[in-house]
Amino acid sequence: MIVADLSDRELEHQLAGPGLLLRTGPVVSRIQSRLPAIVRGIALHYAEYPTANDESFADFRVRVGRPRNFRRWLRPQAQFFVDGNLPFAPLPLDQAFPMLEWGLNWCVSAHCHQYLIFHAAVVEKTGRALILPAPPGSGKSTLCAGLVNRGWRLLSDEMTLIDIASCSVVPLPRPVSLKNASIDVVRAFAPTAAIGPAVHDTTKGSVAHMRAPTDSVRRAMETARPGWIVLPRYQGGTDARLTALSKARGLMQMADNAFNYSAHGGRGFEILSQFVDQCRCYEFAYGDLDEAAVVFDELAATT
Amino acid sequence: MLPNPQVRWRALPDDALAWRRWGGEVVVFNEQTGSTHLLGELAGEVLLRLVAAEGGASAAAIAAELSDNPGDADEDGWTEAVAKVLSDFARLGLAQADKS
Repeated sequence: MIVADLSDRELEHQLAGPGLLLRTGPVVSRIQSRLPAIVRGIALHYAEYPTANDESFADFRVRVGRPRNFRRWLRPQAQFFVDGNLPFAPLPLDQAFPMLEWGLNWCVSAHCHQYLIFHAAVVEKTGRALILPAPPGSGKSTLCAGLVNRGWRLLSDEMTLIDIASCSVVPLPRPVSLKNASIDVVRAFAPTAAIGPAVHDTTKGSVAHMRAPTDSVRRAMETARPGWIVLPRYQGGTDARLTALSKARGLMQMADNAFNYSAHGGRGFEILSQFVDQCRCYEFAYGDLDEAAVVFDELAATT
Repeated sequence: MLPNPQVRWRALPDDALAWRRWGGEVVVFNEQTGSTHLLGELAGEVLLRLVAAEGGASAAAIAAELSDNPGDADEDGWTEAVAKVLSDFARLGLAQADKS
């Protein structure tokens, strides 16, 4: 059963009551909320995702609600609960859906230590993963959104999960978070992509989410082999250019963008080294998504 | 001030260091600090020789191994360069001077 099989009323009822059991890759979350923005956001972005029945185990029990204080009348806010705890300060109510997304990311990065987790977008073609580790503002999510609208499979726009036993990349396909100018860039690049309403004045500026492609959601249990590690850098007016990077520097970039690698100690280093050994590493500057898509298609075809 | 080139140095024990060499570059993970360091060619060579040296090695001894003219390692500036690397290793917690 997928979320789209539920009527609007059933979805609303599940979210307001026992919670919607939502499977995103290897993670099952029980989501509860009465907020209309959450109901609309889930209906738009998670329509194709599997749901589980009430008896199923949930890795995380999350709830997005409104604080019960005087602020609810003056400046309405939203709060994110996980297993009854409040890991974050409340945010303005109109940021409820981005807050759910950030909260779900946090659940994975803070708890799923069966994986090595990196702050990196990751897409797949021909069975190989293209990992894009980069700090915020480097054009990582924009490039990721561009590639998944040109035939690459979305594994994640935010977190790369490496399975410790197999050294493969485990998909966690969820909505792609677009920020500021990249919202209009992706709208123009992929006019048929489903992009939700922009939410303004968040800590990250304006944020809108792009729905993950159906094929990526359906193949969410299909892992990918190590392929390429590419450090993206958006620079307006620049021709798309790939420059080879040593494996040692590729590993350092991954380590710099790691959530839990040092927590795994020497074993984490060994797994990451094995992973990097199997990848080709590059830096990539780009100023145009069409050019970027051509470069990566050539890369996938020739290496 | 650079350390005495005759002082013996030891790398961290084997179970506290993990490393990988790709071409001239070495990446080393320090289990005690949880930090990863990228070492250039000289620093990588010094670390690997220090790890391999049972009982440790001095800057002068490592420099003599690395220099094309082992007898003139001091003159060629190798000893000073190696001593500088060892001093950096001490700062990063990768090695320490033998106090005995």
